[in-house]
Amino acid sequence: MKVLSYKLLFALLLIVFSLRIETHAQYQEKNYGKTPKEIVPYSKFSSAYVKHFMEPLPFRGAGREKAEPEGLKTVRIGFLGPIANSKDTVKGKQMIQGTILAMEQANARGGYKGIPFELMPHNDAGLWGAAANEVIAMDDEGVWVILGSLNDIVTHVAIRAALKCEIPVVNIANPDPTLTETNIPWVIRVISDDRQASYALANRIYKVDGHKRAALLRTNSRYGRVGTGEFKDASRRLGFPVSVEVRFEDGDSDFKDQLEAIKKSNSDAVVLWGDAREMALIVKQMRAMGMDQPVYTSDRAVSPEFIEILGNEANGIVTTCQYNPKANNPKYKAFRSAYIRRFGMEPDVFAVHAYDGMNITIEAIEKAGLNRTRIRDLLTDMKTFQNYQGASGKIVFDASWNDIGQIYMVEIKNKDFIFTPYVYEDELTGSIKK
Amino acid sequence: MKKNANRIRWTARGIFALAIVSFLGFIQPDSPKINSKTSKETFSQSSEKKAAPMPLYGKWKSFTTKDGLPSDKIYCVRVDGDRVWAGTNHGLALLEDGAWKVFTEKDGLAHRGVLSIDVSPVTGDLWIGTMSGLSRYSGGRFETFTQLNSGLANDVIYSVFCDEKDVWAATGGGASKLDTYTGKWEIYTERNAPMHEPWTYNVCAGGGKVFIAAWGGGVIEWNKETKRFRDYTDPDGELEIDLFPNDGIVHDITTAVSYANDLLWVATYFGMSTYDGNQWKGYFDHDSGLASNFINFVKANGDVGWLCTDNGLSSFNGITWVTYKVLENKKGQVIINGNTDDEKILPASSAISHNFAMGVDFSGDVIWVATSKGLSRGEIVGYSDAATTRL
Repeated sequence: MKVLSYKLLFALLLIVFSLRIETHAQYQEKNYGKTPKEIVPYSKFSSAYVKHFMEPLPFRGAGREKAEPEGLKTVRIGFLGPIANSKDTVKGKQMIQGTILAMEQANARGGYKGIPFELMPHNDAGLWGAAANEVIAMDDEGVWVILGSLNDIVTHVAIRAALKCEIPVVNIANPDPTLTETNIPWVIRVISDDRQASYALANRIYKVDGHKRAALLRTNSRYGRVGTGEFKDASRRLGFPVSVEVRFEDGDSDFKDQLEAIKKSNSDAVVLWGDAREMALIVKQMRAMGMDQPVYTSDRAVSPEFIEILGNEANGIVTTCQYNPKANNPKYKAFRSAYIRRFGMEPDVFAVHAYDGMNITIEAIEKAGLNRTRIRDLLTDMKTFQNYQGASGKIVFDASWNDIGQIYMVEIKNKDFIFTPYVYEDELTGSIKK
Repeated sequence: MKKNANRIRWTARGIFALAIVSFLGFIQPDSPKINSKTSKETFSQSSEKKAAPMPLYGKWKSFTTKDGLPSDKIYCVRVDGDRVWAGTNHGLALLEDGAWKVFTEKDGLAHRGVLSIDVSPVTGDLWIGTMSGLSRYSGGRFETFTQLNSGLANDVIYSVFCDEKDVWAATGGGASKLDTYTGKWEIYTERNAPMHEPWTYNVCAGGGKVFIAAWGGGVIEWNKETKRFRDYTDPDGELEIDLFPNDGIVHDITTAVSYANDLLWVATYFGMSTYDGNQWKGYFDHDSGLASNFINFVKANGDVGWLCTDNGLSSFNGITWVTYKVLENKKGQVIINGNTDDEKILPASSAISHNFAMGVDFSGDVIWVATSKGLSRGEIVGYSDAATTRL
């Protein structure tokens, strides 16, 4: 009898112990933003008291009861992007063309119950606060969803105004990691952010290529500041804090002072964060100054302009990309053909994500009807569009509705971009070279 | 010998039992209903100061478009003597002598979307923050200020606050201040104030200071005497976590601030903080009676803070939490010290209009609550004993 009771107790203990392991294991897997375990903030000495963005935030306000309006001549969808008077108009053009193509295709299919979709374009002038005025204007125009924008300042301002107006926002171009960390339950993003790019670069630089002292040269803009924030954090947490950080202004052509500073820092790799033009000019000047360190860049190097400026000097440079245009993806191939036919140019990363964003928007409107809250519900339900197969690849949302789908390492060889899926080298694999 | 064997056996059993209890003690669900220990500790820290009586409101009445409001979506409410002003997404509404009167762009209002209202204590003028400009209602006439004709940083006015002769506006492009005596405007952004970002969301004043809820930048404090700024941000510097409780402001995405009786109340979409000039305290929906971490607005009425959340209206006096909710059957629910060991849930025959609360104001024993689906009016019907939570 006594032996039996001990056996029972032992069995109970085993169950309890296994339950504990199970609970612990589930907890461990829930790293926000697909953050590798060793890069989780403060993970080496403490567990956070509260972890945000682990569950999707509900919208508990009213609005679902509103009936669909009658007598509409068009179904309006807002667009916010740099389409005029901006250094980013080339990107803005690709963005709006991607949305136009998807909308024209939807209208060719009959629109929304026979009512054509209509794009309401608004310029993202890149100025503080201007975007708030544009969102209010779109609210007055009666748009059902807003797509945009590129600039992170503009987009942040826009989503806050959209929250007040209760308009769903589908972000198609902005890589600022903090955009979806605002807990606004009206915003989704269909393009990977700089958090994912930073993890991929840090992995490549320190774990795969074995560098120890990376220098950072970045644009002195919010894009540069916020974009590199995650990279700096990742570098520090992996044990290789950035050796020196220097900045340049958008539009600069001479980077001698900054490169001299990097030269003195004894860095064994250089990370550039900015637009294609400036990054290419920096590499040119680096090589001219005899600096032969390997170069890693932000994803905006994946651009014909980068290769045009650098020619063969671009070879060996490593960057990241939010999609793989060379993938065997029939949706991308169909999109690319249609895009070239319609606009007479190659689509870029902004065009393809804008195309996917508009297709998701149109599908949400078709399924939910003309009701902003119900459209929001569908966009954020983590079912309808989870693992959405778009022209840009599979879109995977985390609990903050940020796209954490596959991103790609890009290496330039023979003036061509070579794409390979990024896989994080787990610390347990022992691949880190120290 | 036999005695010793028994002792060893019982000791082994004891260790075994302790091991089981210890293991059980470690098992915590991912989202525990309550960390009651933390909650108790938090309460006891506040109890050094005698808590204000905790008012209980009831006799709720709702106002909607059926009563004359231009919309059911009420962004804000402001009581001015016998008059009640409500800001909606379709205009400004005034309740006077039992009837609603509506003002829109046709009357001179800057924009139909009215996000904030305040009354000047000096002139009695009404200041109205809209989605497209700041309006002043004075002597029966509207005057509108925009980026083009004034020193407003941006036309989207999330909050307006009258601090003596000064009118502060929290806008989508920074904070603006109008000295109504001189007519001089000043703009505060990341260029001349310690704002992480110039996106301001709310503003209040008290204790010789002005406090700005800077979205993404925590709270910016402006000392009126020294004319200097300082900022309060989340010490852990990470948006995805709060590392330690009570180590500072709970999150940098701040949505509202309110100051009364030497205590600053800070609302965020991630929880609530208070600051007494010395110590920060943080409150979340898992460790306190706060109805939800998503807080649209906060207003201190004496020692009691009122939190307009997306899941009900919470109030807190440093010891006792009281939350007001409406159920699906339209009946009300009053939750005292929700989510703690002392939780009491009381049914109520009337309720606030909607659980998504966006604004609150007071006049004597009367409370007004702006919600996503109507404006609510309640009255004090009793008090909860702070120590025993006895009705």
